[in-house]
Amino acid sequence: MRAQLTAETSPISTATPAGLDQPDALTVAGLHKSYGPVAAVRGVSFTVRRGEIFALLGPNGAGKTTILEILEGFRTRDAGRVDVLGIDPGDRASGRALRERIGLVLQDIAVEPYLTVRETVARNAGYYPAPRDVAEVIALVGLARQARQKVRNLSGGQKRRLDLALGLVGHPELLFLDEPTTGFDPAARREAWDVVRGLRTQGTTVVLTTHYMDEAQALADRLAVISAGQVVAEGTPAGIGGRDQARARIRFALPDGCRPADLPLDAETAGDGLVTIETAEPTGALHVLTEWALRRGAVLAGLTVDQPSLEDVYLRLTGDGGTAGRSERST
Amino acid sequence: MATVTHRARRHGTVRRAWRHDVALAWHQVRYEQLSFWRNPQSAFFTFVFPVVIIVIFGALFRTGGRSSYFYGLSALQYYVPTIAAMSVLGSCYSQLAIVLATRRQEGILKRVRATPLPAWGYFLGLLAHCILVSVVDVVLIVAVGRLFGVPLPTHWAAIAATLVLAAACFCALGVAVASLIRNAEAAPAVVQLILFPLLFLSGTYLPIHSQVLNRVSGLLPVRPLNQALLGPFAQHTGVNWHSLAVLAAWGAIGMLVAIRRFRWAPRPQ
Repeated sequence: MRAQLTAETSPISTATPAGLDQPDALTVAGLHKSYGPVAAVRGVSFTVRRGEIFALLGPNGAGKTTILEILEGFRTRDAGRVDVLGIDPGDRASGRALRERIGLVLQDIAVEPYLTVRETVARNAGYYPAPRDVAEVIALVGLARQARQKVRNLSGGQKRRLDLALGLVGHPELLFLDEPTTGFDPAARREAWDVVRGLRTQGTTVVLTTHYMDEAQALADRLAVISAGQVVAEGTPAGIGGRDQARARIRFALPDGCRPADLPLDAETAGDGLVTIETAEPTGALHVLTEWALRRGAVLAGLTVDQPSLEDVYLRLTGDGGTAGRSERST
Repeated sequence: MATVTHRARRHGTVRRAWRHDVALAWHQVRYEQLSFWRNPQSAFFTFVFPVVIIVIFGALFRTGGRSSYFYGLSALQYYVPTIAAMSVLGSCYSQLAIVLATRRQEGILKRVRATPLPAWGYFLGLLAHCILVSVVDVVLIVAVGRLFGVPLPTHWAAIAATLVLAAACFCALGVAVASLIRNAEAAPAVVQLILFPLLFLSGTYLPIHSQVLNRVSGLLPVRPLNQALLGPFAQHTGVNWHSLAVLAAWGAIGMLVAIRRFRWAPRPQ
């Protein structure tokens, strides 16, 4: 739906094969991938603009890593069009050219144990035509004090930062991060987020997968929610799934001796004893409600008004293992 | 005019790319060396072990003269080339198979694939590293032999050619075995299970005087290397073309298996 439209209408310039003056860093259209009888990716389309942080948000097993690995050139695709910086990652011949311009941080930590942090970064720097300064990258990921330590003596979180340093050292135009902060403590996550935001200010495009709502909310300029191999929504964290236009929810405990039918507005009763009133016009609704309560001398205990959170939208979109993802309410 | 400058420019880029590739290969060799010598286990078992063996044999057979049991050579004249061959097997075949299986399982190979380093660059780095370790090991073994009174070999060119070809062949076989091993824990066991009987069968530790056995082991990869080194080391003959041909054939088989079956990504758990 929305996702497909974006891909279809985005200007894809075929006249510039190097892709340098393309507004889009990455285009995916109608991507399919099956593992035997299991369809892992079913018609995914989205576009990532240059310089933005784009998140693929979805539960485990939704197909995020498969999509990412196709974009990175690790997996072949069954159908669809993929364009990464003007290069088709499925084309083996241009693999080296593509890898000189992208940076990857894979889901699993994989660093050789016997080299020091500095040596590891310096070795990978040698693989790129125009690498970042080794000491600068090490400082950027916060490992300056561990630079001379052997990798095997690092903690899990430090190894992950080293992995991030390896993704950055080639000075990539586009950086892929597969669940970059899984297993981080809250402080380390915030530091990692700061690093990623810092990259955006330097003009690096970032595509990341995550199953953390707060991570998508904190980092992403735009995101696509993936469920059961499909894009079920695409947009900004504030507006996704019609979140910004969604009806506000007024919730409170039903006063003693009242039935829902006594209320002046239509209400739903939830299992927790709270009633919910959904409304597009919360100011007026609240006025009606509180006036009714004051007149009866009743108390609306636990009264709250809110918009659906990103988590609500996400759970609605990906609910029931993803099959109910289509039931998005139109606004 | 335009085509000339165009061609010149292209020639320049090609040469720069070529120089970049050479630098890349050297870069890779250096870091393979660093990684190897920092790992105490690999440094000991692949590098020190053959030297220890030749020292023990030297102490045992120091006084032995020439005998028909050792094909008219002294025991140490026989053992210097066969243990040298064993060191090549250790630094090329065993080391590569185990290192690659481990690196694949730990995801390190996939990480390498995520960089612009081309596959040939990675393997060239490994090959050069293995040849270097083999050569140093062989030199040490010859030096130990000299200390125990074994005359220095005369046909150095033949030895060098044999070593380089053998190292390349056993590297190919090491990559092939790494491609067939499923998990890294099993790698040392599988590698030794193949190598140990072969070493005995091929007369590395004890000369074999059975014609049938020798004919069989002559078609397997280890005995041809022993033979190819015995000649220029102790028997004043040059390159043993027949043995090298058998070795090359095994190298080709190893390469074929490696190209068809080598995987960079770890198997899903």
